Formats: sequence, structure tokens, C-alpha cells
Amino acid sequence: MQGKRQPIPKVATKIAGLDEILEGGLPQGRTTVVSGGPGSGKTVLGLEFLCRGAVAGEPGVFVTFEERAETIRLNAWSLGWDLAALEKAGKIILVEARLPGEEIVSGDFDIQGMLAIVAGQVKRIGAKRVVMDALDVLLRIYSDPKRERNELSSLHDWLTDQKLTSILSVKTHRDDNQESHYEFLDFMADCVIQLDHRVVGQVATRRLRVIKYRGSGFGTNEYPYVFGEHGIVLFPLTTTELTHQPLGPKVSTGLKGLDLMLDGGFRRASCVLISGNSGTGKTTLASTFTRAACLRGEKVLYLNYEESREAMISGMLSPGIDLRPPLRDGKLLIQTAMPESTGSDNHLYRVMETMDSFKPNHIILDAVSACVRMGSKQAAFDFMMRLISVVKERGITSILTNQVNIRVDTDEELSGVGFSSVVDAVVQLRFVETEQEMTRQMLIVKSRGSAHSNRRQLYVITDRGIEFPDIPQRPPVRAGKTRRKDGGA
Amino acid sequence: MSKTVKTKPHAPKEGPDHYLLRLFIAGNGQNSLKALANLRSLCQEHLEGRFTIETVDVIDDFQAAVRDNILITPALILVAPLPRVMILGNLSDRQKVLLALRVSEDIS
Repeated sequence: MQGKRQPIPKVATKIAGLDEILEGGLPQGRTTVVSGGPGSGKTVLGLEFLCRGAVAGEPGVFVTFEERAETIRLNAWSLGWDLAALEKAGKIILVEARLPGEEIVSGDFDIQGMLAIVAGQVKRIGAKRVVMDALDVLLRIYSDPKRERNELSSLHDWLTDQKLTSILSVKTHRDDNQESHYEFLDFMADCVIQLDHRVVGQVATRRLRVIKYRGSGFGTNEYPYVFGEHGIVLFPLTTTELTHQPLGPKVSTGLKGLDLMLDGGFRRASCVLISGNSGTGKTTLASTFTRAACLRGEKVLYLNYEESREAMISGMLSPGIDLRPPLRDGKLLIQTAMPESTGSDNHLYRVMETMDSFKPNHIILDAVSACVRMGSKQAAFDFMMRLISVVKERGITSILTNQVNIRVDTDEELSGVGFSSVVDAVVQLRFVETEQEMTRQMLIVKSRGSAHSNRRQLYVITDRGIEFPDIPQRPPVRAGKTRRKDGGA
Repeated sequence: MSKTVKTKPHAPKEGPDHYLLRLFIAGNGQNSLKALANLRSLCQEHLEGRFTIETVDVIDDFQAAVRDNILITPALILVAPLPRVMILGNLSDRQKVLLALRVSEDIS
């Protein structure tokens, strides 16, 4: 028999994505332990928690046992937080609690001095939050684990008595057996968060995991996070329900012939995959759509993971697609990146930032096949799923190109990394060899919520762009109904 | 509760061999009381007539703890003669304290 759980009071961290995982925030007036290896962002997390609190009217005290106060200020500055100003305004106090290192020890001692300083500062500014950064450094003065436990326990009691919402961070090393070392700390705290910084396929990735949360539910997955411009950004895919926008009205592909085949064009807010071998004209087709959309006054964000901006612009001039005017007008934004330059999480963060500021109507991703170089097929899949999920929520049309090396027929293989369930339309481009020549053919493999031609359509790429020698046919009107009338099959 | 007090058993001569000792304690904690007792007896025995003990209770005066970066109590600072020395703990190891305070040569 289980009683209904009383919701415990929480303090929102306002760190992007974290409160969703913590189902509201950190436990109010209680202790949270954040552990992680060097470079995992423990200091940043604590710092952001305090800065966001201070701005929202909850003063805080930051105690640093390892870094110098000046380093902490610089660290905050790089995240866009003016710590010095917050200190001046009496909203944050930075306590540099670094042990001198060369002191002589004679007999027993305790950390009352540190507690007195923190208590004094807390009282002075009416602090509600306390962060103790690199507590492991302070604990080094105890060679006896039993003494260490006693001190931790009295620290915990003191923080709880003072009703302070606190974060204690400790450094852990994965190789040595420190996990058991801080077992007591994890046991004592009400909430335990682990930060993990690892390298997968030569690309650094960071993951956050909530280990425990006394009296509360929490997201139990590992969540990727990056250091954004204003602190930590997490990408929780916690929403179990899909909040994608319904597909919108038709939007021209920029090609009359293709519009005919698609009964008017792509649907707005849909995800379109252009799949084909190298040289079939995937970028040309995507650029054709781009230019047409920009000419209508719509905004397009073109993500190119294959070639540089300049190479792409000059490359598109040969089939007669001039992307320079829309670039000048600010209708088109080309964002390029080497896929292997950073992890998929950072790529996603960069795209999201751009989407927030540029607010595109359509987004082109060229190419899915290059995304695998972000680390692994799994990394590419995570990146695509999250990106498509976000653009669909915002009602943005997305066009993805994917290079395939062999003749493929299944959707899974068409998309390359197996996300075909979220793809609404697939345009397949392929070379067809005949006795006399090599020709190109276009086929609409699928087009959700729309009639479409099921004929392979011959096309050529000239200096005026993609052209169809034979005029494509509209899909048979109400094909479904006709079939039903005929008795189906 | 002890307040910040100066114990001057004898009028200090303030000569070059005069010892100014600052002891940081935390209320009536066991270690704090022990440290104070240990320091007094040590001084009376080895530094008679040439020492001043300043006792600072960090619970009353946390700003003093901030100024001298006192995280651990009890903590003894040898303010003069220079160079400064900091000794942590309840000062129960007298030999170690004497050595650190550079007093042990005097007795030999």
C-alpha cells in the first residue's frame, strides 16, 4: 500500500532543460551533490545556479575550495554572467576557501572556521543558495574516512538547519575507486547528479544523469548537454507526447515539373528527404527550392556539412542558381561546419541558436550522410531525431539530402541512419544506364498526406537548372477513390 | 561564549623577541578550549614575559576569519616575529608547536 506522494518544494534552476529532468528543480532547503570528472562542468553548473538565482532575487554564496576567485569570475564572464557586478550589488558573495597548503598541523581540528565564514556571509546578504565547489579538496585534509564522514555529516546538518538550497560538487575520477569514497556523500544528499565527460569516436560528449532524488520523480535517462553561450544547455527528450505541428498547405518545390508530380509541391512543416547517389543533383534540387522560397520572401537556413559556403555558392552558379541575392537580402543563411569538428550535441546547439535568432521558414540539411562523421551512427541519429523534432514543433519545413552509395529501395536505407518514421516525403534521384547513355531519374517514393506521381521521371541538369524533357504528369486525381470503386487491389 | 580578547599577562615589552600570537577558535568547541589551554601553558613556560595572545572567536567575528582565510579551527597564527606561520589543530603536540614557533632553539 502506498500513500500518495506529497510534492516536495523545489527551486527552479532555470538552467535550460534541467528543470524538466528534475521535474521542477532542486529540492528546496536541501543538499544536492554534483559529481563528475575534470572538465565535466561542475563549477559551471553551480555558478549558473547561483547567477540565475541572484538575478531572480535569490542571493547566494559561492565557496571555492580549489579555483581562485578571479578564475571563477573569468569563468562566469565567459558564460555572459557579470559576477563582479552581482557581488557589488550584494547578490552573490564569492568565498575563496583555499587551504594555504603549507600549514603545520598539531592535534585535532574541524571546519568550524569555514562554516562561520559561510554563515556570516549568508546572513549578510540573506542568501538562500549555497554552492560549495570542489569539496573533495577540503576533505583531503582528513586522512581518516571516519573523520571525513563526521565532518560531512555536520556540514549537511548545518546546511539543512540553515534551510539553504545547496550544491556540493566533488571531483571524481573514473579509473580510481573513488565512487565508494563518496558513497556516504551520495547517501547523505537528497539529490545526486552525475556529470560525465567522455570521448566517443574521437568526439567529446557530455552526459548528465540524476542518480537519486529523495521524495521526487526524475528523468532517469542520460541527457546530453553542452556549454552554450549562457551556460549549460541540456536536451531532454522527456516529452512523451509528440507536439509536432500538423502538415501545412503545399509549398512550391521551385520546379514546375516536380510540383506537378507532387500535386502542388511539398507540404509546409513536413520533413522531406532527397536521396541519391553522388552527382545526381541533390544539392541542386535543394538549392532550387531554397532560391524559390527566398524569392517568395521566405527565409531559409541552409546547413551545409559537406562543402564551404563559397564552394557551394560557386557550385550552384553552373546550373544557373544564383544564391547571392537572397544571401544579400538576408533571406538565406548558409551555415557550414565540419561534422567532425565537434560533437553532435554542440552541432545541435549551434543550429538551435541560429534557428532562434534567424527564425527560418525552411531548413535544409546537406547532408545526413555527413552527420555520421559527428562521431557515430548513433550520434548522427540523435542529432537528426532531435533536430527534426524541434523543426516539426516549430512548423518549419525541413529538407534533408542523403547520399547513398548503392541502389537502395527501403526507407531505412534511404535515410541512412534509420529515422524514416519522421520523414514525410522521399524524393529519390538515381542514375539509369541505357545502352546509349547515362540518364537521371526522379521518383517520389512517398509523400505523406498528399497524392503523388508514381512514375520515374527523366530529368537533366542544364545551365538553367533541373529540367524535365518530358512534361511530368499530375498524379491521377483521387487515385484512392478510383481504386476503391474498382474493387481495390 | 568567548569574545575576541587580548590576554596580556605582562605588559609587553614589544621588543624584537616579543611574540604576538593570534588564536582562532570556534565558540566553546572542545578543540578550541584545548587549544587555548595548550597555548597558554606553553607560552607561560617558554615565553614568559614576552608574548601576547589574541583570541578571535570566528563565530562572533567571521570577518576576522575572512581576513586571515581561516577555514580550519583552531588555528594559530604567529604574527610576530616574522615570518608568519600558521599552525592548525588543538596544539596538543607541543614539540611540533615549539619548533614551528621557532622557540625550541631558545630552550636548548
